[in-house]
This record gives sequence, structure tokens and C-alpha cells, in this order.
Amino acid sequence: MSLTPGLHHFLVVSALLFSLGLLGVLARRNLLVIYMGLELMLNAANLALVAFSRFNANLNGQVMVFFIITVAAAEVAVGLALIVALYRKRQSAHVEDLTSLKL
Amino acid sequence: MTNGDYYQLLKLLAPEWTVVGTVLAILFADLQFWRNRSVAWRSAGAASILSLGFAAAAGLLIWKRAVTADLLGGTLVLSPTSQYVKLALLGLAIVTAWLCTEGEFTKHVGEFVALIALATAGMMFLVSTENLLMVFVALELVSLSLYVMTAFNKRSPRSAEAALKYFLFGGMAAAFTLFGFSFLYGLTGSIHLPTIAAKISWHAGDPLTLVAIVLVVAGFGFKIAAVPFHLWAPDAYEGAPAPAAAFIASGSKVASFFVLGKLLSVGLPGVGGSGAWKAFSPGWLAVVAILATASMIFGNLAALAQSSLRRLLAYSAIAHAGYALLAIIGGSQPALLYYAITYAVTSVGIFGVVAVVENRTGNEDIAGLAGLRERSFLLSVALSVFVLSLAGVPPLAGFFGKFYAFAAAAKLGSSLGYWWLVALALGASCVSLFYYLQVLKQVWVAPVPEGQGKVAGGWVVSILLALLALAVLVTGAAPELLIRFLK
Repeated sequence: MSLTPGLHHFLVVSALLFSLGLLGVLARRNLLVIYMGLELMLNAANLALVAFSRFNANLNGQVMVFFIITVAAAEVAVGLALIVALYRKRQSAHVEDLTSLKL
Repeated sequence: MTNGDYYQLLKLLAPEWTVVGTVLAILFADLQFWRNRSVAWRSAGAASILSLGFAAAAGLLIWKRAVTADLLGGTLVLSPTSQYVKLALLGLAIVTAWLCTEGEFTKHVGEFVALIALATAGMMFLVSTENLLMVFVALELVSLSLYVMTAFNKRSPRSAEAALKYFLFGGMAAAFTLFGFSFLYGLTGSIHLPTIAAKISWHAGDPLTLVAIVLVVAGFGFKIAAVPFHLWAPDAYEGAPAPAAAFIASGSKVASFFVLGKLLSVGLPGVGGSGAWKAFSPGWLAVVAILATASMIFGNLAALAQSSLRRLLAYSAIAHAGYALLAIIGGSQPALLYYAITYAVTSVGIFGVVAVVENRTGNEDIAGLAGLRERSFLLSVALSVFVLSLAGVPPLAGFFGKFYAFAAAAKLGSSLGYWWLVALALGASCVSLFYYLQVLKQVWVAPVPEGQGKVAGGWVVSILLALLALAVLVTGAAPELLIRFLK
């Protein structure tokens, strides 16, 4: 039995990360924790891309990861700005308080 | 890859450069020279600069309309069709920018108009690429600009809340799309759509392929607001400033439909499966058919219960996403683009009317339109043209949009396998007539409320609205005028 991790190991970890992130987005109530869930989902995709890149023997996937990291940073900047804007109006960062628009 | 490639790239991207230059020009002029002017003056100034810059970009596009190019491994793919779609996007952006002159929702108009231009740049890149990385980056440029635009009304708590909901759903959609892209890349070793198409058919029945398809379609389902990924749409439409809502409903939809259609028909043609009656087999056709069904049914039924005009438009947009998905199923790019462009022109027009009326009366309900016929004849006629076009009444553009989309789906396969979807779409269109006519009833039949004076927009907005209504009429009366550019 070999101890080097194969492609499917990476994929299982990445699928787990993605599910954890999704669970965080859907189940948590604090906006900041929800953001962390979103980041986890993006990083799950990053892990899958890097693993595929290694096993496909080309660099497209890794290049894509660099772009995703950059874009994710921009996304967080916008997201945090939105939380601040909301906090100034509501004094709260919880999803229960987002009720002025009915869902 | 040689230096010649990059020089070629610079030349071919001239319209995009012009758009980005316009962004900088607007920011510079607003920050440097117009600090002491009134907000109304600054918004008109910013919209003028945007119109000039975009007219120049449109000129470049028309000049190079016959171009075909495929550079840097599908990163930049130009065809006459993509040039015409970009022209439409520029036009929609110009109208949106002028809507900023209706109603003072922020002091930072320069930044707002610059964001419109930035989102337009993203959309232009989005429609001219066949590369997954470029699709993602362009999509995020569009999305991030739109999130910020949605949050721009700092005086209203609803604006920030709408933006946050839009952002959370959009961020999730981006993660879904990316996870799907990573599987497509893993299965085929490429991020170039035609290469993916050539290799993905080896994995046609693979569960991983199906997961990738579902994830990608789910991600784009958020962008086009298809059920069950539509939850953000009513809130974003209601809370956002009118120009932001108009752009979400128009430009963003055109670009997203174009790229979703391209992704599925160019990138994944071999793994469509089937959504035909009694012949379901897994693949993107089946997934898209389910989304279309759910969107048409839910969108139309939920719209029946709305009293807010903007929420009604949001649910009608969800229903229209369902109809447009029929064109994607039918695999007909001209039908899809005709539908998306005429729909976008109509919605930007409706939001124009909404912006003017809300600005003058402060009432956001359908009842706020009561007696509009006496208060502004031009707005009443324009609104009627737009609403009837959405309802699909001939000879307006909406009728032919639906006709082409439904016909494309009906013709697919040998034995009318998609008849169930077309029948459902026709039924749903009939239901939708009810709520569209409710709007027109307020305009033309309901009594004029006491103490309400005339309603009139600025002259530029009035002219633009009249032009949009004319465009809906003309492209409806003579659909060949538009559709021959999209083939």
C-alpha cells in the first residue's frame, strides 16, 4: 500500500471543504462567519484546481488559482464594506435583522 | 506566443480600452473639477462623458464589425455577433447612466457612473471569450460592480440590505461556478471551451461530469435569476437605486445569457442528455429544462401576488429567464440573443419609467401609477409599449422573442420531444397577461388621485424612453432588422 496521496484524496478533501463552506453559509447567523464559509467554498475550488493541475500535468489550473485568490480578496473588500454600511444603519451583523425586505 | 500576438490583442481590444478610459475620465472630471457643483449637474456631466466615450467605443465596434479573431488560446474570441452584442451593451449602459439624473440617491454620482462603465467593460470581456478563466474574471468584474451599485443609496437601509443579499447569493454562485469549472478542467485538462468540448464526450456518463454540469448551471442560474436560485432578485430589484436595478435587469442579463448559451453549446455539446418527454436522460438539457419549468411556473405565480411594482418586475424577470432558457435548450443563438436584447431594452425602459414616477411621487407600488395617462402621456404610452412587449403581445418585440425561443425548443429533436416545455411556456405566458394588464389598468383606467400633479422626467431621459419604446415597436414589427445581425 502506497502512502502518497492520489488525486481522489485531494478531491475528497476539496469536496468536504466545499460542503463545510456551504453548510456555514446556509446554517450560520453571523454575517462574518457566513463570509468565512464563502471563502472556504472558493478555497475548495482552489484545492481541486491545484490537484487537477498536478495530475493533468499542465499549469492552467495553477494560473487560475492565482486569479481566484486575487478576485476573492477583492470580493472580501466589497463584502466587508457592505457589512459596515449595513452596520451603520442597523447596529447589527446578524442575518435575522435583515428583514426590511421580505424574502 | 509572440509579441505580435500582444500587439494584435491591444488593437482588437480598442473598444474595451475606450470604455476603461471613460471610467478614468469620469472619475477624474468628477473629483477634480466638479466638487462644488450640484449633484444634478454632476450626474448629467458624468452621464454625458459616459455617452461620449461609449459612442466612440461603439464607433470602433461598427468600424471593425466584420472582425473574426481567436487569440491566446480562446482568451479573446471575436465574431461579428459578439461585436453587435457589445453594441447593445453599450447602448443599455448609456440609458442606465442617464437614469442617474432622475432622483438624487447619492452624492457620489461620479463613482456610480464610473461603476456602470466598469461593469460594461466586464460584460464586453464576458461576451468575447471562450476561456474559463476569462469567463470567471469578467463575471466577477461585472458582479462586484453591480453589488457596489446596489448598495449606493446610503440613505435607505434597504439598499445596503439588498446589496448584502445580492452579494451573499452572488458569492455562493461564483463558488459553485468555480467548483464546476475545476471539474471541467480536471476531466479535460483544458480551460479552452472547444478543447473541453472535444474531450468531455469521453466522459459522457461520468458522475463527475454531471456534478460539474449541475454546479456550472447552478452558478449561472443565480446570475440569470432562475428558480430555485432566484431569491436575491426581488430584494435586489426593490432595494437598489433605480439605475442599478435597471442595469442588473438589462445588461447583466444579456451578458449572462450569452455566456451561458456559449458555455453549454460550445463547451459541452456532447453531454446534453435529453429533456424530451418520456426520454429523460441526464445532461445539461435535462437540468436546464427543469430550471426553465420551475422559473416559468414560480415566477408567474409569484408575480400575481405582488403589490410593489419593482417586485412584480423581479418575478416577471424570473419568468422571462425561464422563457429564455427555452432558446438555450433549442440551441439557437440568434433566438437567445434576440430574446435577451429585446428583453433588456424593455426592462431598462420600464425601470426608466419607474425611476421617473418614483422620483416625482415617492410611491413604489403599482397603485402609484394610478391615472398616469393624465399626468404624463409620454410615460403612459412608453410604459404600455414596454409592458405589452413583456406580455408578448404582437407586433411588439416580446412576441417575436418568445416566438423564436419557443420555436427553437419545439424544433429540437425528431419527434417534438420538448412539446411539454413549449406548452407550459405558452400557458405561463397567458397567466402573465393578468398581472401585466393589472399594471396597465392602473395607468389607463384607474381614477386620477386627488392632488397629484403632472409627472415629467428630464428631457434626455424622456427622449431616451421614447427611443426605447420605438425600438421595441420597430424590432417587433420587423424582427429581421435585428436578427440578421445576430446570426
